[in-house]
Amino acid sequence: MEHATNDLKEYITDQVIPHQRCNVNINPDHITMLEGTKIKKQHSRKRRAHKSGTLSRREYAELGLNTLPTKQMKYEEALPLHNLWKGYVREHLELREGAEVPQVHDPRYDEFSRQLVKLDLHGAKLKVIQSKCRTLENLSGICIMDTKNVLKLLGRDHRLRTIPKSECVFGLRVGNMDFTIFGQHLNIRPAERSVKKIKSYVEPFM
Amino acid sequence: MTKDNKKKLLAQRHVYSRMNFLFQASNLMAEGNQAKLAAYYGKVCRNVGTKTVMHMAPALKRSLCRRCSLPLLPGVNAELQVAGEPKHPKGATPPEASSNGEAKTKKKRHRRRRKKPEKSDETKESRTSSGPPETERICLFLECSLCQSRRSFPADNRGDCWLEQPQSVVQVVSLPGENGQR
Repeated sequence: MEHATNDLKEYITDQVIPHQRCNVNINPDHITMLEGTKIKKQHSRKRRAHKSGTLSRREYAELGLNTLPTKQMKYEEALPLHNLWKGYVREHLELREGAEVPQVHDPRYDEFSRQLVKLDLHGAKLKVIQSKCRTLENLSGICIMDTKNVLKLLGRDHRLRTIPKSECVFGLRVGNMDFTIFGQHLNIRPAERSVKKIKSYVEPFM
Repeated sequence: MTKDNKKKLLAQRHVYSRMNFLFQASNLMAEGNQAKLAAYYGKVCRNVGTKTVMHMAPALKRSLCRRCSLPLLPGVNAELQVAGEPKHPKGATPPEASSNGEAKTKKKRHRRRRKKPEKSDETKESRTSSGPPETERICLFLECSLCQSRRSFPADNRGDCWLEQPQSVVQVVSLPGENGQR
């Protein structure tokens, strides 16, 4: 119930002209939600029998799992995820206290960079360093969702922003190490990234 | 021989740590009432497993919803019900095994019954300890709040899957690097 009204409030607020949005004040008592069972159709019995164990793409989308609300999540709620991610990175890259990035001539370098590409980005604090689109530059936040072409960053102002990967260069900071990620080479689904074979040399420019 | 085995296991360690992280993240989000994100992380965790041909522990796998991959935490985002199952699954009609609208037609009932014994061979309720004391043919039903799917778990552990039986463990490999680190 709470979530449903939140969605509605956000939708109504988005309909108002931007500079007057701060004046929108919705009284929750004035919202009446009609709840109840759906109308039973004639062929509902037939459909039940075919109910499968997995969700189809359409059902998945109808549950709203492909879209996230843009304004309802707080930055503080994502901080535990970030802390979890920090632990994960240390485990994944086998970091110790005060570890440095291995030099190119190090024997460890190859292995390290290979693992770096396979790193999971959910929960990472990312910053857009450079982009073809000026407005995207200098945005930062905790990455919450990672799809094939897009990253969703939750900024400090409690807004979820969608950022295309291919046009941007991201900065990532782990401990005292700085990484620059060219989003162009990140254009893979997150699940497929852990099996993807990576070329030993890629063009680093956009 | 053992060294080779160890190396093989270590080679896939990154995948394990990633899946582990995603599973934890999804549980974290489920507790923080972010059902959509929780389902998303669960789904990614599953997908990583399928892509790299790795298996999750059966108990963990069962704790994710089968349809929407939401981690089911009874009391938080899932409903837990206890109901008895008929003793002779092929004979008499089930009195109250399936509540409300699950089985309405006779056809449907037949189908359900045929499926259940197969399932009970493989699955086992992971939270038996939290449930009622074990008796004959008691089933726990978990209903996901996001996609309304129901799953039943027989409350006895006679039909354990092989991986959960103690004699299936061949070798325990501990990772020395991390123990020294922390």
